[in-house]
Amino acid sequence: MSTPVLAAANVTKSYRLGKREIPVLRGVDLALMPGERVALLGASGAGKSTLLHVLGLLDAPTSGQVLFDGRPVHDLPVAERARLRHEHTGFVFQFYHLIPELTALQNVLLARMMATSTLAYWRTRGAARAAAMDLLAQVGLQDRLHHRPSELSGGERQRVAIARALLAEPKVVLADEPTGNLDSATAAGVVELMFSIQQQRGLAFLLVTHNEDLARRCDRIVRMRDGVVQGEPART
Amino acid sequence: MIAAFSPFLALRYLLTRRINLLAMFGVTFAVWAMIVVNSVFTGFVSEIRTDVRRASPEMMLTDLPLDTGYEPLRAALEADTAVAATAPRLRHHGLLQPLRVPKGLQPRTEAAELNFDHMESGFALLLGIDPAREEAVTPLRQWVARSEEVFALHHVMLPPSTVLLDPDPDRRAQLLLPDATEWLARRRAGLAVDTPKSEYRSAWPGVLLGWRRAPYTPWLREGDPIDLLTAASVPTTDGTPQLRSHRVRVAFAGYFATGYRAFDETTALLPIETLRTMFGQDIHDPDSIDLVTDVAIRLQPGLSAHAITAARDRLQRAAQAVLPAGSAPCSVLDWQQQNTVFLSAVATEQAMMQFVLFVVMLVAAFVIYAVLHMMVVQKWKDIGILSALGGTPRAVGAVFLLCGVVVAVLGTALGTGLGTLSALSLNDANEWLFATTGLELFPRRLFDLQQVPVRLDPAWLVQVATGAIVFAVLVALFPARKAARMNPVQAFAHE
Ligand SMILES: Nc1ncnc2c1ncn2[C@@H]1O[C@H](COP(=O)(O)OP(=O)(O)OP(=O)(O)O)[C@@H](O)[C@H]1O
Ligand SMILES: [Mg+2]
Repeated sequence: MSTPVLAAANVTKSYRLGKREIPVLRGVDLALMPGERVALLGASGAGKSTLLHVLGLLDAPTSGQVLFDGRPVHDLPVAERARLRHEHTGFVFQFYHLIPELTALQNVLLARMMATSTLAYWRTRGAARAAAMDLLAQVGLQDRLHHRPSELSGGERQRVAIARALLAEPKVVLADEPTGNLDSATAAGVVELMFSIQQQRGLAFLLVTHNEDLARRCDRIVRMRDGVVQGEPART
Repeated sequence: MIAAFSPFLALRYLLTRRINLLAMFGVTFAVWAMIVVNSVFTGFVSEIRTDVRRASPEMMLTDLPLDTGYEPLRAALEADTAVAATAPRLRHHGLLQPLRVPKGLQPRTEAAELNFDHMESGFALLLGIDPAREEAVTPLRQWVARSEEVFALHHVMLPPSTVLLDPDPDRRAQLLLPDATEWLARRRAGLAVDTPKSEYRSAWPGVLLGWRRAPYTPWLREGDPIDLLTAASVPTTDGTPQLRSHRVRVAFAGYFATGYRAFDETTALLPIETLRTMFGQDIHDPDSIDLVTDVAIRLQPGLSAHAITAARDRLQRAAQAVLPAGSAPCSVLDWQQQNTVFLSAVATEQAMMQFVLFVVMLVAAFVIYAVLHMMVVQKWKDIGILSALGGTPRAVGAVFLLCGVVVAVLGTALGTGLGTLSALSLNDANEWLFATTGLELFPRRLFDLQQVPVRLDPAWLVQVATGAIVFAVLVALFPARKAARMNPVQAFAHE
């Protein structure tokens, strides 16, 4: 049996509100295998986003472990966690989160500028540009390279965000309701695109969604309730 | 290492947000003001110090007991190898009243009105000098010669007095005017003249007035008689002090201009013998003493500051040794110590001005802080994205720090350039403005200067430029730190 590319081991997370401790995650165990496509379902407020942030090292667990390729990483120094986040995971959010001052191409390129120095980037900027344009072409935006987010539709923005998440060639993509803000036709297009790229690149994919149909197209469904997860097979 | 996205994003933020220009121009203005204002002020201060220096002897022995004679002090002081020359001085105060006052110009005091304006009331600090000795210690001739330039600046053509150029040393010592001049002046004043012009010999000691008195007595002409009134407290035979007044007639001999305002306003130079005689020390009386209140000293040229300080202490001891035993300590003051009140007032003013300029800089720094802080608050979502993409807190903070650095460096460069240019072309600009609009940015004549005295100090330029950049960057550190410490997860909370 191979090691999970990303795993949570007995992860808890609680927030402090004044004197009260509010537990959100109460001991989550979750393992994501390479190339695996997992759906995460749960009622609003169940802690899905919180779990995603902890798995992506954006937030620290209160207790428990986060493991990348079997290695505990949640308590590494902040710069080290940033580097791992950059190399290991790509995020896709419900609200796209593009930088409004930058064009589609620049937003994607930003993912290449995280771990390289200015000088190193300057020397390899040609290759980076080619890679970014290639990705944008893959998501069907070859004609929108120099548009700013405000000049793009919701679906187009999400495609830019997907391209950005993929540019650093991560092993895992964490998607938090990526189609939650799109109409069903556009959403279908974005989903097809994501699934095809995921398959093609053999990415581990954790998809937070409220859509049961979408969830059923994954390898595995994980349900969150009361701060813990319960797995079940998805495909029938 | 600076991650590539930090400068990239900083540049985009700067270019898309015009408020950064405001911060930049704030720095530009502050730097510009610091350079221009300080250059002009430094110029003025150095001009003022030059004037004060010209008006003061290099060193002065003062705080002497009453009834001190010059000769023993001269011998003691000139025995020192550091001393080049000494000159006796007798200071007192008095009132000057020109005899001849044109009709309609009667002084207001005659209308039974008290007048406290010392120049109109004729009040003067009388400085008795021995012209021959004084010339060896202070630029006395230059003081007189400069009056012509100064009057010319006020569009008055007045040749300088020639009393110091009389070939006869005895007449020069008395500051006597040419015989014919005094004869004519007597006639003008309506005094009886029973000698023919050719046989007349000048008799009134001359008095040289500071040029700043000229506007109050514009009718005065060379040789015009002036009554000099002075009073002193003298002990009588039974020991009680008594106020005794003295009056003597002197002749107006011309003006002098040292450039030091206070000196030129108050001082009247007259032969020391005239003052001594008034105090009962007539030179023809064998019991008289060559009375002095101060001794002006010129040192040998080229002495180091250390040697000058050493000489000062030595001279003080030498002078004290010849004073009667038990006398209060006398003082030897260098030219700055003689004018310490005035000079320290000027220095305080400059410090105050620099403080005000610093406040301008503070405001500029605050603008940078406010603009960056606003940017961090508005960009908290971007900060979350950058973290999600793998940006370290340091690199995220660097985005905002770099914005501050660019604003500070550009603003400083612009301000330094403009400031230098303004300082260098200040006089041209002033003249051009005056020629085209009649306005004067810097009223030069108010200070009797040909030019606005700009003094651009390269050290100050460097200081201001580095100071501004360092200061702005320090201030930018706060918003940058705030950005670095932001919790990225908050950016992804539901909208
Ligand atoms: N910073 C915080 N401070 C306090 N409580 C928080 C904080 N962030 C999240 N929570 C709480 O944690 C719980 C889980 O939030 P989370 O966003 O993970 O839910 P979710 O499952 O993603 O919901 P949704 O489906 O609506 O996105 C919620 O009750 C929320 O109020
Ligand atoms: Mg959520």
